[in-house]
Amino acid sequence: MIVAKRKPFKEIKESVSGANKILILGCGTCVAVCLAGGEKEVAILASQLRMALQLENQNVHIDELTIERQCDREFIEQINTSVNVDDYDLILSTACAAGVQLLSDVFDHKVVVPGLNTTFIGVAEGPGVWTERCRACSDCVLADTGGICPVTICAKGLLNGPCGGARNGKCEVDPEKDCAWVLIYNRLEKLGRLDKMKKIHAPKRYSVQEHPATIIHEAYKHRYTV
Amino acid sequence: MGQSFEEALTSGKFLIVTSLDPPKGTDLEGIAGVIGKLKGVVNALGVYDNPRALMYMSPWAICRLVIEQGVEPIMHVTCRDRNRLALQSDLLAAASIGIKNILCVSGDHVMFGDHVDAKPVHDIDSVHLLSAAKALSEGNDMAGNPLKGSPAFCLGATANPEANPLEPQLIKVDKKIQVGASFLITQPVFNMDNLKRFVDHVKESKVKVIAGIDLLVPEEVPKYRDGSYPGLFVPENLLEEIAGADIEKCVNVAGDLIKQIKSANLCDGIHISAPGHEEKIPDILKAGGL
Ligand code: SF4
Ligand code: SF4
Repeated sequence: MIVAKRKPFKEIKESVSGANKILILGCGTCVAVCLAGGEKEVAILASQLRMALQLENQNVHIDELTIERQCDREFIEQINTSVNVDDYDLILSTACAAGVQLLSDVFDHKVVVPGLNTTFIGVAEGPGVWTERCRACSDCVLADTGGICPVTICAKGLLNGPCGGARNGKCEVDPEKDCAWVLIYNRLEKLGRLDKMKKIHAPKRYSVQEHPATIIHEAYKHRYTV
Repeated sequence: MGQSFEEALTSGKFLIVTSLDPPKGTDLEGIAGVIGKLKGVVNALGVYDNPRALMYMSPWAICRLVIEQGVEPIMHVTCRDRNRLALQSDLLAAASIGIKNILCVSGDHVMFGDHVDAKPVHDIDSVHLLSAAKALSEGNDMAGNPLKGSPAFCLGATANPEANPLEPQLIKVDKKIQVGASFLITQPVFNMDNLKRFVDHVKESKVKVIAGIDLLVPEEVPKYRDGSYPGLFVPENLLEEIAGADIEKCVNVAGDLIKQIKSANLCDGIHISAPGHEEKIPDILKAGGL
């Protein structure tokens, strides 16, 4: 899932300044799971903004709405069944930044600003804790690294083993974090696959990382080609 | 210049090398003086490449100064600050001004340095850099394009015998040897059993092991302890010994380590690191019986 965290309140408040009618639009998927931009977080942000603006005697009307997904046109287009987007001068989106952009494409006559900082692709480790697991490098090496990503977990993204800095199995950069290559070594040893670690990995092919990337599924290609 | 570093490596002679931080700024006077003092004392003089991610002058310029003063340089090259294009360009540039010995390193993380917001590059790792340098020596760039004129490098790598666990280090070091490292300069060593385990592992290969010796000084003890020097793992008893010591005592501690290495006949040489105290290097060697 995509993990995000809320922007500092001051920054959000500045980004909505000047608007008299604001729609705070939450997203019910990843950012709801990571407690950053779902229905509850939208309600909290709305109350905070209302209070802060009232204290400054600003007469700003704020509405709240959360849709299932902001990264999909079908869901965004349904917004108009609940609210009239044209009633608002600004939409504050608490989706991930991909959702914010699609929203801005669909309503390209509206000001759309983000309420979150999109941070990583990760997993839920336990209640309230998420960790980064993938940098979407488009050339996955997990088959050789015991299912542990060196591109993401190693602070230097090293592909052929550890640097000389790991201290008692912890990364030189942060004693709280495990050294990716010690984790990989232990996992591969457990799996009886240490030969995988002995293989020399060629440098990463950045050419396969298209930016901005597009994927068109085989079955749909005919729709998009002339 | 007599015997080259590469020849000395294979001669069986016990080698003495050290490395210097380049200046921060354009003033070369200080470093020129240090190089002058080390001439005739060391077999080769390394020049660090933005060590601990602190921004200094590029090492090739200082390596050139080292050559002009009649000493053979070892240029450290880190993968942290340049992508594969820039690294290969710099290797060619280095070769063109007479630099032969290249030490390929990953590089300490950016967060240790003085430009913490810099982007850590790490486009390729130290294993890739060694193979790139090797490819250049063989007349091709990393992409396989032919070169017009190719360098003749003597390639080195680093390793940490004090790493815990050691096994992942050993796997990496095997790769470095496999792709062309002919010498290894280790991180500072303190425990001879650890060094022996390491040397036993690599002794099947022809690689030469130059053991790291650090001049530990009392003012840095808190930093040794808290991990401010990545890859430097000083045992607690030594930290306590150093904490209240004067510089002579510190020199003797480093000298003792050299004696232990020599008497156990573990390595092909030593690399002394004494940043800011380079003038003490002859004393350290003397204390080590060299
Ligand atoms: S190698 Fe790492 S960053 Fe690349 S796709 Fe696999 S998990 Fe993601
Ligand atoms: S200590 Fe381990 S995780 Fe950290 S940078 Fe070095 S190899 Fe990567």
